[in-house]
Amino acid sequence: MKKFFLFVALFFASSFLNAKINIVAASMDLKSIAEFVGGDKVSVESISEGAQDLHFVEPRPSMVMKIKKADMVLKIGLELDIWMDSLISASRNKKVMYGEVGFVDCSKGIERLEVPQGKIDGSMGDIHLYGNPHYWLDPLNGKIIAKNILDGLVRISPENKDYFKKNYDDFCKKIDEKMKIWQTQMEKLSGKSIITYHRSWSYFAKRFNIKVPIEIEPKPGIPPNPNHILKIIDTIKRENIKIILVDNFYPLKAVNKIAADTGVRVVVVPSNVGGEKEVRDYFELFDYIISKLTKE
Amino acid sequence: MKKNLILLLILFVSFNILSGEGNSSNTMTDSTPLPGMRGKPINLPDVSALGNIVGYTSDDKSDKGKNDLLLNEVETAFQGYVYPDVRADIILAIHKHDEEYESEICEVKINFQNLGYGFSGEAGKIHIDFGKVNKLHTHHLPFTDRPLVLNKFLGEDELAGQGATLKYLIPIFPFYSQIQAGFWKIEKPEEGQFFPTDKSYSARWNSSFDLGNKKELEVGFSGLTGRGPGYVSETKSKDSVDLVGADITFKWFPSSYEKWTFQNEWIHLRREIPQGKLNRDGFYSFINYRANKYWDYGLRFDYSENAFPKISYERAVSAIITKHLTETTYWRFTAKHRNIDGKNITEGWFQLSFGIGPHSHELE
Repeated sequence: MKKFFLFVALFFASSFLNAKINIVAASMDLKSIAEFVGGDKVSVESISEGAQDLHFVEPRPSMVMKIKKADMVLKIGLELDIWMDSLISASRNKKVMYGEVGFVDCSKGIERLEVPQGKIDGSMGDIHLYGNPHYWLDPLNGKIIAKNILDGLVRISPENKDYFKKNYDDFCKKIDEKMKIWQTQMEKLSGKSIITYHRSWSYFAKRFNIKVPIEIEPKPGIPPNPNHILKIIDTIKRENIKIILVDNFYPLKAVNKIAADTGVRVVVVPSNVGGEKEVRDYFELFDYIISKLTKE
Repeated sequence: MKKNLILLLILFVSFNILSGEGNSSNTMTDSTPLPGMRGKPINLPDVSALGNIVGYTSDDKSDKGKNDLLLNEVETAFQGYVYPDVRADIILAIHKHDEEYESEICEVKINFQNLGYGFSGEAGKIHIDFGKVNKLHTHHLPFTDRPLVLNKFLGEDELAGQGATLKYLIPIFPFYSQIQAGFWKIEKPEEGQFFPTDKSYSARWNSSFDLGNKKELEVGFSGLTGRGPGYVSETKSKDSVDLVGADITFKWFPSSYEKWTFQNEWIHLRREIPQGKLNRDGFYSFINYRANKYWDYGLRFDYSENAFPKISYERAVSAIITKHLTETTYWRFTAKHRNIDGKNITEGWFQLSFGIGPHSHELE
């Protein structure tokens, strides 16, 4: 009988000791980075999917249960994943509420682009109050995201600080190594202009010295109209633009029309991990995007 | 003196440059504030306004409201946090009732988001969480007019009560499951409406099941009980109203923007009055396809009996097309065919709903 109780006690003790930190991320990109930093001490789920427009994620009750069980949530922030707030609130999980130890806003420390100045309203389209939120598309911002995740993990599990820190250092080292390769590959586009569908690529373009003189959307979130399409065609001809870069969930009707009229190359890529089956992690996301962009 | 003045000037300029640098930095130094906390630097709540313009036509010659395009509703909202995890929403509205505009407190509530042990609660004047639709404000509905059964059993607007509700997220199930109970004081309804009034009590259980492959099933059961509008006393003129409802909704998200919704709601009304006991039923069935970011196509079938001692039957079928301009601005066309005790009426609706500012509601 004693042995039985000892066995049960050991079983529960080992379960407790081996318990992984349960993380719920707003996006697959944050999930991927959290898996690098957290290693085998974390279990990470993403609320959104890879080929999903993060502006249009509908919060569902089943998602509440994921957050209910979470030790940590990872938010993109800058009001892109505003749907996470209602899920966190509905979960009543004190650990992951705003400002608590398990709440990580990955935008902390990001040098933001396109922060609106002065009054903003609907005439400017779908403008984000705190600036362009697509910051994970600059690979170097991946290191800031990782640092935020590291800080969160250390708050929750200080005894594993060295383990997480080593993973974080390895992640940053790999980013630096890959950056050299990506910069070399992207040299052929450096200083040149491309067109993007939405302003999702501002951070990416800045990092690789690409100009984006015009987007397919006349203003963020507003669908293209015939006048704007003519303006795009004029810009393509005037600036000798060769590429339109489109996130793989946007409609291609207007883009294909412009391509047919101008001969410009349409490059459709995922802007999130998991958006294509070959894109399984944060590094593969840039491998994929850059290989498609630089393909002759 | 001159030296001191120059020093002061240098210090003043340096301070301005330094403070200017601080302000112009775009580095995010803290977490993005939550909705309701945007006004933090000057301690203002989120302020927003919504307008709802409705055009209506009908082949019923006796209908006085036909062929009008009128402002149907204006709603203003003030939302913010008053304490950690405690949010206040003040929603004031001017509604069109018959030919006149009336101002009213739509909702004023304090939401205790986390009372501990899985509990949360709300207190104030609140849209009662009965069924799938009553909680929603008009501009959040996927149709121009409310389903017949809600109009007949819960009134023409959202049924609101003053009181409190306590919600509990059941932790033992692997799926989402919430129970709640509320007590209310509900204003007496207008002539011809029969929802519970004065002291009333509500309860709701709703669950959601992730069916995998981007499919979700939501199920709910609701109850509401109270005195009817004709109540004087238990012996003199007894009037009690009990409502029970069931709702089932299936959602499927085949791609980033596409969405199928199949929503059904049934309500049973039981009314005890001096003339006897009335048992009445009504339901609606709504199927909607969101084809892309901008377009929704829906079809709704309504059936409802009335709550008068003399029973009448009404059926309606509506076709609905919605074009979304932004998250809070859209226009919508509805064609509706009604059959009221054998009399056929065809109606057309045009709705333009627009929002200014960061208007938000909880998970719906």
